[in-house]
Amino acid sequence: MSLIIQFLSSIRSFVLAHNGDELRNWLLVENDVADIYFQLAHQLKSSFPDNGSDALERMVDKCLPEEFDVPEGKGSPWPGFNSFVKEYLEYWRDVDFDNLVTLHARLSDLLTSCANALANPTYGVMLLQTSMSLSESLSKLVMGLTRQPHLIAQIQGDMTGDEPGERKSIVELAADVIQKIFTSCLSDRSSSRTQPPKGKKVAVYLFANLTLKLLFACEKSRLAVQMFTNLSATGPALSLYPASQRVTFLYYLGRFNFDHGHYFRAHMCFEEAYRQCPPQFQKHRRKILIFWIPSNLLLGRFPSRNLLQRPEAAGFADIFLPICTTVRSGNFVAFHEAMRHGRDWLWDRGLYLTLLFRLKPLVWRSFTRKTFLLTWQNGGGDAGNRAPSLSFNHLVTTASYVQKLLEGYVPATRPLAPRARPPHINTIFLKAVTNSAAEADSDSNLVPPPGGPRVLMPSDGLIFGNKKPDINNIESIVAGLIYAGLLNGFIARQQKRFAVEGTKRTGGNPALAGWPNPYQSIMERFKEGYEEAVAAYETGENADLPGDIDDVPGWVRNI
Amino acid sequence: MASQDAANKDSKAAEAKPEQAVADQKPAAALEEDDEFEDFPVDDWEAEDTEAANGGEGGKHLWEESWDDDDTSDDFSTQLKEELKKVEASKKR
Repeated sequence: MSLIIQFLSSIRSFVLAHNGDELRNWLLVENDVADIYFQLAHQLKSSFPDNGSDALERMVDKCLPEEFDVPEGKGSPWPGFNSFVKEYLEYWRDVDFDNLVTLHARLSDLLTSCANALANPTYGVMLLQTSMSLSESLSKLVMGLTRQPHLIAQIQGDMTGDEPGERKSIVELAADVIQKIFTSCLSDRSSSRTQPPKGKKVAVYLFANLTLKLLFACEKSRLAVQMFTNLSATGPALSLYPASQRVTFLYYLGRFNFDHGHYFRAHMCFEEAYRQCPPQFQKHRRKILIFWIPSNLLLGRFPSRNLLQRPEAAGFADIFLPICTTVRSGNFVAFHEAMRHGRDWLWDRGLYLTLLFRLKPLVWRSFTRKTFLLTWQNGGGDAGNRAPSLSFNHLVTTASYVQKLLEGYVPATRPLAPRARPPHINTIFLKAVTNSAAEADSDSNLVPPPGGPRVLMPSDGLIFGNKKPDINNIESIVAGLIYAGLLNGFIARQQKRFAVEGTKRTGGNPALAGWPNPYQSIMERFKEGYEEAVAAYETGENADLPGDIDDVPGWVRNI
Repeated sequence: MASQDAANKDSKAAEAKPEQAVADQKPAAALEEDDEFEDFPVDDWEAEDTEAANGGEGGKHLWEESWDDDDTSDDFSTQLKEELKKVEASKKR
């Protein structure tokens, strides 16, 4: 009993002194604490057993009476604080660090109670440090739990009262509580959006970053939307906060935009995060590069030798250079090989499928250009006096060739099998395969491999799995490339051709006119999209006026 | 609680030597690292310590925008050329 009173009287002295640091130092919740906490737990168990009595509540109120006439800069206990302290003592009374399921429930309740106490406009701010440390403990626990599905199932099973459809995951629940604290900090009126932060506002980006860390660790980044919306609406300027918070926030905002297909926005966030992160923080710079390089690849820019030679980029050349080379060359077979080479590493970072699907249009761009160069300049007098164009039939030929290579076809001149193969084995079978699998193979330099063409996964084929490219596929791909701004010209449907426009402007160079620089084209398309949004606002089609072209929702730069 | 796990991962990441990563056939193994964006050891630093302040020094030449070469003598182009010829020839037959 004496230890409890001693503990509460210390807490009271910290509250009266308005000392948030000491409150955090004392209100610990993890198991790596001094023995005295376990002695406290023991006393609580014996003096205040869990029997429905309000004795503990009365004890707390007695030891933490509300003060009146509090001098400037000092504090007083308040009802929300006392409830939190009562809950804190109950936590130590009941805690079982070996039972992660109940530990999670207890810690969640405790943090909610802390968030409620923090919301007090007068004294709540002194619980800021404690809120931070409890939030960190809860997110650490939740991140650990997400790796143990059987425990998650148990926790989810324990949650009763909700409709199954409304049931939230433990990540969402933890993020909800931490976001509640974030909102409490955001709505603090001690300072405006453009003034150096005061009161709870100093912790806005600390809690934003903690929430983001949790959401990304548990692959729930989409839940951050509301937070970014709130920041855009009322958040203080990011530049008013310490560099470590700025860089961390921009890293997560970049990843959020990357995950949602906004590669230009992602690039802007990563660029600023990287530039503000000093070279000695090599690990952090490396983490930024892991997503900054793919963002740029998808915008049509490749990492330079200068970048790949930096210490934080060690090993990245091995992953990214083969991909860049093959995107440039339009060699789909080599592109798939390059992706396969980096697959495990890219997959673990959630980059594999994004790059595989989103880089394909750029490979198609290079591939169509290559086919044009082969057929227009060197294609046997096709050029003549006509305007430069690319025949869809030629594209079907080159695309079919590539598809065959992907399916494992081999050059017709190469022997199909080792010479030593006995004449009676498989000869008839091979003939049958050759005849049935590819009737038109007499028109090709390739023949099916022994055992027949490889069965491809949908994503591993040029169009879709083993689908043979036909003229309709080619036309729709070309149309898509024109729409994206990657090809400059139009489709002449009667002639089944892509007609290049603007050759005069490029000094008579049709390849330069028809296949403009991808990065510039993508940026141009982005600008067009923005102008369309502005026009839609002006005509009343869209109620929201878009911000500046380089605005990133959630990044408070210009207020 | 989880701090020990994090410490183990850190030491693992530190062991991954950069020069190995380039040479290694299996990039995934050499590049293995902890994915968490760790807390910075310091809260704030001067803008002068960053590339943002040093203007061009680090900000430039990070990206290549140039794409195209008109060389069609590489192996892949040669194969495509041959295939185009063969298909054209078979159509004329």
